[in-house]
Amino acid sequence: MKNFVITREQLANLASKLLGENWTVISPSQNGSKYLKIKDAKDLIIDSALKPTDISMKEHFFPKSETLFFFKRKKDDYELIDAPGSEAKTVIFGAKPCDASAIPVLSKVFNWDYKDEFFNKRVENTVIIGLACKFEDENCFCTSVGLSPLAENGSDIFLIPLSDDKYFMKPITDKGRDFIAANETFISEADNISEPINDFSTPQKRFSTENVKEWLDKNFESKFWFNAGETCIGCAQCAYVCPTCHCFDIVDEDCYSCGRRVKNWDSCQFELFTKHASGHNPREIQGKRYRQRVSHKFKYYKDRFDELLCTGCGRCTRGCPVSIDIGLILEDINSHFLETINVNN
Amino acid sequence: MNIYKPELVEIKDIIVETPDIKTFRLQFKDPQLQNNFTFKAGQFAEYSVFGEGECTFCIASSPTRLEFLECSFKMYGKVTNALNRLKVGDTMGLRGPYGNYFPVEEMKGKNVVFIAGGIGLAPVRCAIWNVFDMRSEFKDVTIIYGARTVADLVYKHEIEEWKSMKDVKTIITVDPGGETSDWKGEIGFVPTIVEKVAPQSDNSVAIICGPPIMIKYTLPVMLKLGFKEENILTTLENRMKCGLGKCGRCNIGSVYVCKDGPVFSYLQLKELPEDF
Repeated sequence: MKNFVITREQLANLASKLLGENWTVISPSQNGSKYLKIKDAKDLIIDSALKPTDISMKEHFFPKSETLFFFKRKKDDYELIDAPGSEAKTVIFGAKPCDASAIPVLSKVFNWDYKDEFFNKRVENTVIIGLACKFEDENCFCTSVGLSPLAENGSDIFLIPLSDDKYFMKPITDKGRDFIAANETFISEADNISEPINDFSTPQKRFSTENVKEWLDKNFESKFWFNAGETCIGCAQCAYVCPTCHCFDIVDEDCYSCGRRVKNWDSCQFELFTKHASGHNPREIQGKRYRQRVSHKFKYYKDRFDELLCTGCGRCTRGCPVSIDIGLILEDINSHFLETINVNN
Repeated sequence: MNIYKPELVEIKDIIVETPDIKTFRLQFKDPQLQNNFTFKAGQFAEYSVFGEGECTFCIASSPTRLEFLECSFKMYGKVTNALNRLKVGDTMGLRGPYGNYFPVEEMKGKNVVFIAGGIGLAPVRCAIWNVFDMRSEFKDVTIIYGARTVADLVYKHEIEEWKSMKDVKTIITVDPGGETSDWKGEIGFVPTIVEKVAPQSDNSVAIICGPPIMIKYTLPVMLKLGFKEENILTTLENRMKCGLGKCGRCNIGSVYVCKDGPVFSYLQLKELPEDF
C-alpha cells in the first residue's frame, strides 16, 4: 500500500483549495474549545501536542441539536417537511485519535437495527484526517481502553509528524485513498520514508477493561456506586464533552403555524432522564445514575456492540466541576476486582 | 428514510373511559398505509401531538381488527394533556409498531389467564381480543381486572361483553372503599382476588399488566398457584423517547426495553438487575 508525505504548507494549500470548492473545512479551534468550521486556511491547526479540545468532535456527526423534521399547520391538517440534510462535503483536519475512534463506535448504536440517516449522511460526507497525538496529561487513558496515540480507528487518512512541518500520510480507508488521489498535486509519495512510529511514547496502561467488565458484571448492587455518586452534582458536563455519549431527547419547538421536532443531546446524569409519568424513577438517586454511566460505557455497550463506549480522552475528568476522575474510578474498580480474586484464592 | 418522522393519523373517535383516561380510535390518513399496517399484540408505538411532543403507549386494539388502531392514555404530563385536548377529526402523528410481543402463537392449546390493574388493561385488552378472535385455538380463558374505584375501570362496555360470553370467566374487582352502593363485582386488591379465583396453572400462560405494586404482589400468588416462571408474562413501561434503541434511557442493564421488550417473562425479569 502506498504512503505519502505532505508538508504543513501543502496542508494549508489543500485546505484553501477545498474551501474554494465549497467544502466545509473543520479543524481544532485556536482557543482549544472545539472543532470549528474554518473560513480561512490560516486558521488551520495541525498540532500533535494539542490538548484535546474542550468539546469532542462528535457534534459534527451528531449535533447538539438537530432538526428531525418541520411541521406546518394547515387548518385541520399538518404537513411534515423533511429537514434539509447536510449535503456539504466535509473534511476534518487534525482529528485526535481519541476523537476519530469514537465515530465507528457511535455508528454501531446508530445502525444496529433502525438506521439513523442523519448520522450516516454526515459520516458518509466527511473525510477524517487523523493526527498522531503527542499530548498526555494525568487525565488521559487511551492505552487502557485499547487505543493509542497512533490509533487509526475512524480516520480515513492518518498523519504522523516527520518533523515540525512535514507529515507522513497514510490512507486508511477507500474514502481516504480517493481523497488523496483527487488532491495528489498537494501530496508527494513517501518513497524511501518509513512510518515514524518510534517517536511516540505509549502512555502506561492504568487498568484492564476486562477486569473492570468482570467486576461490573457482578457488582450492580455494590456500595461503591453510592460513594462515587455522592460527589456528583448531576450537571452532565461529562456527557456533553464526551466523544461517545450518545443519549438524546426528542422535543417539539412550536410557533403559531409551524414548528420543528428536534433531537437534543441528553444525559443519564439528569434525574428527569428516566422518570416515569407516574413519578416512579428507576434511577432516583445520583449514585444509580453514575452507575449507569460507567456501566453503559464499560459493560452494557460491550455486551451489546462489543465495543467500549470510551476512548480515554479524559475530557469528563478535565471538565468535572467536582473533580470526579473517571480514570481513578476505573483504577479503583480494577483493584477491587483484583482484591476479590485474592480473597477467593 | 427518516426513522424519527411519524405518519399522520386522524382521530376517528374518542371514548372517555374514566375522568382521566381516554381511548383514541385512529386511522392513517394515507389509505395505503392503513391497508398495509400490521402489528402484534403487545407492541407499542410513539404518538405525536405536533408542537407538544411524543409519548409512548402500547397499541390497545387487537391485530385481528385492523380497521382502526386504538390507544388509551391517562392524563399525566405535557403530551398526554395535549392529547386530551384533541377532538374527533384532528390529526396527530404515529410511529411504530416497535418492540417484541406476546407469544400468542405459542399460547395456542393452552389456558390463558389475563390479569390487569387500572390502565394496565390496555396492553392486555389487545391480547384479549386477539385470543377471542381465534377462541377455538385456546383452552380456558380467565380475565381478572381491578381498578381503584368503579369510576376508574376502563373499557366498561367491553367488560360487560366479556362477562356475557359463555366461554370466558371474567372477574372484576375494585379496591376496598372504591365500590359503589350498586356494585356487584368483587371488592379487594387484585392479588387477593387472583388467589381467591385460583386459575388453573397447568398448561397455562398468564399475562399480567398493571401498576408495579400490583405486579409485585401478584407474582408470588402466581408462583404459589403453580404457574411456571416462563409462563408469567408482563410488559415493562420504562420511559422512552426514540423507541428505536438509540436514545439510551429505557435500558435495564444491557437490555433495551424498546428492543428486547416491552414483553418479558418473570423468568427474564428475575435475571435483570434491579433497575426498573
